[in-house]
Amino acid sequence: MYHKGNLYRVFCVLIILGMIISACAQAATEVDVVPEKATAAPTAPPEKKVATLIYTQEFDSLAPLYTSMWFSWTTWQMNNHWAWEFDEKNEPFPRLVTEIPSVENGGISEDGTTITMKLRDDIKWSDNTPLTADDFIFTWEMAVSPANLVATTYPYDMIESVTAPDPQTVVVKFYEPFAPWLANLWHGILPAHILRPIFEAEGTIDNAEWLRSPTVGCGPYNFVEWESGSYARYVRNENYWGTPAKIDEIFIRFVPDDASQVAALKAGDADLGTFIAYSDVPGLKEAGLNIVVEPNGYSEWMFFLVNEEIGHPALLDVRVRKAVAMAIDREGIVRDLLGGIPKVPASFWDALPFYNDPPLTNYPYDPEGAKDLLDEAGWIDADGDGVRDKDGVALELEHATTIREIRQDAQAVMQQQLGEVGIKLNVNPVDDTLYFASYADNGPAARGEYDIQEWSDGPLFPDPDIYYWLCSEIPSDEYPTGENWFYICDEELDALIQLQSTQVNVTERKETFTKINQLFYDQVYIIGLWQDPDVYAVGSHLVNAKFSGVTMFFNIAEWDLVP
Amino acid sequence: MGRYILKRLLQGIPLLFFISLILFVLMMNTGDPVATMGGRRVTRSGDYERLRRQLGLDKPIYLQYIYWLVGNDWTKTDVDGDGIVETPGTRRGVLRGDFGISLLNRKPVLEVIGERLPNTLILMVASEVVIIVGALLVGIYSALRQYSLLDNIITALLFIFYSMPIFFIALISMYIFAVLFKRWGLPYLPTVGMFDPQVGETTAQILWHLVLPVLSISLISFAAYSRYIRSTMLEVMSQDYIRTARAKGLPKREVIFIHALKNASLPIVTVVGLDLPLLLGGAVVTERIFAWPGMGRLFLDHIDRADLPVIMGILMLVAVAVVVFQIITDIVYAWLDPRIRYEK
Repeated sequence: MYHKGNLYRVFCVLIILGMIISACAQAATEVDVVPEKATAAPTAPPEKKVATLIYTQEFDSLAPLYTSMWFSWTTWQMNNHWAWEFDEKNEPFPRLVTEIPSVENGGISEDGTTITMKLRDDIKWSDNTPLTADDFIFTWEMAVSPANLVATTYPYDMIESVTAPDPQTVVVKFYEPFAPWLANLWHGILPAHILRPIFEAEGTIDNAEWLRSPTVGCGPYNFVEWESGSYARYVRNENYWGTPAKIDEIFIRFVPDDASQVAALKAGDADLGTFIAYSDVPGLKEAGLNIVVEPNGYSEWMFFLVNEEIGHPALLDVRVRKAVAMAIDREGIVRDLLGGIPKVPASFWDALPFYNDPPLTNYPYDPEGAKDLLDEAGWIDADGDGVRDKDGVALELEHATTIREIRQDAQAVMQQQLGEVGIKLNVNPVDDTLYFASYADNGPAARGEYDIQEWSDGPLFPDPDIYYWLCSEIPSDEYPTGENWFYICDEELDALIQLQSTQVNVTERKETFTKINQLFYDQVYIIGLWQDPDVYAVGSHLVNAKFSGVTMFFNIAEWDLVP
Repeated sequence: MGRYILKRLLQGIPLLFFISLILFVLMMNTGDPVATMGGRRVTRSGDYERLRRQLGLDKPIYLQYIYWLVGNDWTKTDVDGDGIVETPGTRRGVLRGDFGISLLNRKPVLEVIGERLPNTLILMVASEVVIIVGALLVGIYSALRQYSLLDNIITALLFIFYSMPIFFIALISMYIFAVLFKRWGLPYLPTVGMFDPQVGETTAQILWHLVLPVLSISLISFAAYSRYIRSTMLEVMSQDYIRTARAKGLPKREVIFIHALKNASLPIVTVVGLDLPLLLGGAVVTERIFAWPGMGRLFLDHIDRADLPVIMGILMLVAVAVVVFQIITDIVYAWLDPRIRYEK
């Protein structure tokens, strides 16, 4: 009888006690931490400064040229550098060069095809090998080699030659004048002394260990290790040619869930969070974190498909497009769904004030005005079903975007508000990889199946260059990779877009963009919903951290941790 | 039994071929991997064509499947886009142990999976052990103390947990035991990860970081498993041979654990046998929330980017495991119940 029942009770109590004891024991272990198993890191003094950053996506590669991921790009200010980088105002400053090339300093030729860069003479890789013009030449060669699986060859495939009259001079000759060079060239440099032998032996650098483990770099930190799914680790580069970094080590932890990231930040398990959702901002501020919002050129846009052959006839009329803009309370969407944090962009170049001059203003929220425009355009509700029609065609538009929650919420609001003016909006949430599939893969957006497409985009920031709306970019069976998924062929717009990409004279280019800006406004080819800046949550112990919308961690060497 | 096992293994081979074909066709339609290689922008048209050619995605689907299965080192491809088929293939194919390379990070698929599989086994085996032991204890107690006060309380709690979505349990437990306990000055658990990288990958760290994920997974499964055991135990306890065992004066413990439980556990073996191979797939939601670097998260990350080689590698691993574990389940059946024989 003694054993009856007691045995089970004992087991249950033991399990519960075990969990409590392990909790207390681990708390004690946390205080007296002594690693049982040493990692590759060198022993550091007790006052070692270690920062932890949280990334919501794991990078796919750490090598320049091989990835376009934002998260990977951030590491190129840690263990690598761009030739010139951009500060918190997204203004360029020289990094590996002595000055930024311009027509005035002779760095850009009169015809705009040749750019001459003067490199600093004190740059070196972390193994003390000097970084010279040869590394730039090698980087270009690897970018354009068909044997390498680089993420993009742009804009290196537009370069005729890269030569080095001396080790500190790089001469880049384009086939044609190329205006967007400042924003698109030299996003990280490859070490020729490490990778060229591999390329010569194997014909490709795709399998080089350095691509997965770039232990030799030229930045303020050295890469140490990358534990798949878990973390990456960087330590201060003691051979750095610039001002030494203040923080000894940086860990990047991969935490894919937003709520988990917030929990980790609130618990003090990290010093920096990335891609913070607007809905989490108040809670993080309350927990003592600083929120930094950095423009990056991206905004959420609705793109109209305007084409006589495949588009909805209503959208051929600019009055209808204006009515859509006026029927949606975009300020309300930002206020209610995004905490009022970002603004509603009026121009595709909102983040580039120089090219949004004079600055555009948004069409106001005016449902009555929208109704008047629709009436004027001949779209009336003849059959009384609540949806306007004309010549037997209902004003029923297909709107598609990806399945991100904020987009779903915004779609629901827009559907309701457009319904109030007699426009029926059919919402189509689509997974990313399906939504952005190509014309050849029957991607619905590429095939023009949607009247209104929506995603976050911007110019090739910090350059104002765009190319989507070129007539030549309309996809077809003959040109399935065309990127003008809006099927818009506006000859005036097309000519202006082509012109601006060749104008190395900044003043002339600005005038061209003024016309482009105004044309977009007048024709309402796009409607801005909300700005989509980078949002960081910075722990109270992390100081001096500034961010750029282009070279995100440009001043990471100055970051510091205080008690 | 040996011949039976061999027969089952041989039957598994055409089954796996069929599964691989179905999965390949299905996974080819999960999206375009090149479409998202442009980062935050749509991949540029020139890059799009080049990447599809270099990754072999421009080939017809049947050819891609053949290359996946048997490799392409016996043929040549046009990698540089000059129209001349001159570059020898480098892949040996699944049948020769080469599952290809990841379209995202260019690492061999087996290496990608190998980095995560042990982490998943740690999490899932620990969870399964806790579930089985806990469910056995609760199920046996419930059967022996049917409708008692404690039985009713435990049953109610288990059904409450069973009806909660796992992400809710995971996040609530994280906030209570990690965030709030720390704020209140109590001993606290870590929020995310498999270990603290600043401390290192030690046994203590892993066990410490296992608590919340295992708790989340097991709380939901306790109810189902314990109810299985409870119902089968009740059925077995009313059998004549149990009455006979009692009448012979055997100790209560022996009657329950030797005579009753062994017979009651046959259905549980089926359930566990079906669950074990799925352990390899990881717990997608749990791994995501706790940032546990396992197979579930790997699958989610790579299917999100339509990384076909890695997805196929994971799915085929699970398929093979299902076939193998079903055979093991049959063997365990025969051991538990001598009346079960597979050969004439």
